[in-house]
Amino acid sequence: MCKRRLFSDVAQLHIGIMPLERIQNLGYDPGNASAKVAEAPNSADEALRHSEEKYRMLLDEIQDYAIFMLDPQGVVASWNAGAERIKGYKADEIVGHNFSVFFRSEDIKRGMPEELLRITATNGRHEFQGMRVRKDGSRFLASIIFIALRDRAGNLRGFSEISRDLSESKESAAKYRGLLEAAPDAMVVVNQSGEIVLLNVQAEKQFGYRRDELIGQKVKNIIPQGFAERLIADGTRTAAEALAQQIGTGIELTGRRKNGSEFPIEIMLSPLESPEGILVTAAIRDITTRKKTDAHVLELNRSNEELSQFAYVASHDLQEPLRMVASFTELLARRYKGKLDSDADEFIGFAVDGARRMQRLIQDLLAYSRVATRGNDLVHTSSEAALRRALMNLRGAIEESGALVTHDPLPTAMADERQLIQVFQNLIGNAIKYQNPGVPRIHISAARNADKKWTFSVQDNGLGIEPQYFEKIFVIFQRLHKRDEFSGTGIGLAICKRIVERHGGTISVESQLGHGSTFTFDLAGTEGKS
Amino acid sequence: MNHIEVESSHLDVLLVEDSPGDVRLTKEVFRDTNIDIHLHVAWDGVEAMAFLRREGKHVNAPRPDLILLDLNLPKMDGRVVLANIKADANLKSIPTVILTTSESEVDIVKSYRLQANCYLSKPVQLEAFENLVKSINDFWLTKVKLPQQRQGG
Repeated sequence: MCKRRLFSDVAQLHIGIMPLERIQNLGYDPGNASAKVAEAPNSADEALRHSEEKYRMLLDEIQDYAIFMLDPQGVVASWNAGAERIKGYKADEIVGHNFSVFFRSEDIKRGMPEELLRITATNGRHEFQGMRVRKDGSRFLASIIFIALRDRAGNLRGFSEISRDLSESKESAAKYRGLLEAAPDAMVVVNQSGEIVLLNVQAEKQFGYRRDELIGQKVKNIIPQGFAERLIADGTRTAAEALAQQIGTGIELTGRRKNGSEFPIEIMLSPLESPEGILVTAAIRDITTRKKTDAHVLELNRSNEELSQFAYVASHDLQEPLRMVASFTELLARRYKGKLDSDADEFIGFAVDGARRMQRLIQDLLAYSRVATRGNDLVHTSSEAALRRALMNLRGAIEESGALVTHDPLPTAMADERQLIQVFQNLIGNAIKYQNPGVPRIHISAARNADKKWTFSVQDNGLGIEPQYFEKIFVIFQRLHKRDEFSGTGIGLAICKRIVERHGGTISVESQLGHGSTFTFDLAGTEGKS
Repeated sequence: MNHIEVESSHLDVLLVEDSPGDVRLTKEVFRDTNIDIHLHVAWDGVEAMAFLRREGKHVNAPRPDLILLDLNLPKMDGRVVLANIKADANLKSIPTVILTTSESEVDIVKSYRLQANCYLSKPVQLEAFENLVKSINDFWLTKVKLPQQRQGG
């Protein structure tokens, strides 16, 4: 950061001011100073006095820094052009007054001016950033260095203050401000005391303040909780460590606008090392919209969940009364067939058939909803073993039809084995069922696709499907044939689709009427073939 | 005087079930399966316990050879009935078969923990239900040897 240069200048100046014991001669106390000078009227002293005057002139002319002396009680003893320009007092208006007038009333109440002098006297030097008050009452953030001035004997003779108005730090701040303004997010730069040093126009807009209303204010005013606390050093960590723990992670907090309204924000912190200490740049994003979207997604998931639960419970509870209808119409049919008239036989027949079909529909609906509610985790699964199991379950149909089922070596895939068996079983079962006269030939293969998934194919030589039905056949309870041609509710492919989608894949069909069909579906793979 | 000491040719089964349709269906199927079964019905859990303990109007109730117990019952839940039976020194040796529509794993585990002798779910199809009743008859009422029953009250 260019900022670093600011105070290396000050440091050089500071060196230039030495030796300390001479500095008092630059001070206000003319009696004391002139007495000293008068005591040493030799040429060496003359030369010294001359050089001190040069320093004094130099200091007086410095515009960018307020440089002035205080006596041990904090009474202003000297004043330079920079001090006048920055603080707004002329030398004769301020010299002789206590320096506490530069502080905010709340700081004075806290005893800050005395405390500063005490610390400086103890440590010899004290550097900090703080809010200062100009003659006209306006405030500004200053970077300040206090130096205790002691004579050779070590007696405290006073203090020097070298300070700079940070809000006007020219090149560096301007450059940094330019950067901030270019950022899409609201940006706020905060010092270790939790005070706002810099902000961009997006931050003004977001929080509804004008810039000068925020500069120098506690960041707590706009982010009441969770930010300032994160910057503070404590017994177990330094400020740098405290900050390091927060860097780079989005922290969700609440922002407060000037009008008191609150909104969700996400902040990203990054440190900005400067000679004034570590500053923290916070990129602040209004996440109201995202939060709403999140809430919608959550709500959608919940209602999906509820719906599938509903389907399950409804179909389960429907089974009970239906069991009565089906059982008693069957009993009726069994005991009274031929004992009533032919109309009665026919009516009972329809009732029995209707009840049976409804039972199948409900069972299929239950099976369909169980894909989601009773699914197991996806684990490494041998698809070849799953296929063997499916073929075993189908052995009645295979023997009856004389179907020839062949397959390539099949890979290990990420799957719920029970569901993979069901997919194979439904697809191969369909291939056997929807057949031309002749021997059903079915071949199962797998190939790695571009997404590194495994694409499985179940190819048959059956009836085939017209292209306009390629999508429709996967919809629940959609059938292409009349009930007396082929039995079934139209659930098998819908279940396959649901299972494959639960596995993160897709299922589709390619077919030519009369020339068989190829169903393909993909599953996330694992390395190698099983 | 009681129903057991005679080489009684019939078996007593207590069906605890609140659905009249199910009661009738079970009666019909048992009648077709084994003519020697006397099916007694308790319509809720409280009545089931009264029957087993020969209380009130059930003072002359026979000690059943088998209990068929539904889980979801009015007044006293089937799970409580099961716990009461298995906590009663007089009753716990009576084979108690859970016969319910619930296929919930929770119910199954809980029933076995409460020492149900077996757990059966009612099949949806009539034929399957008939086969189930035949199995109950073949196993619990024909093949299984039970301890010598104690004379009740």
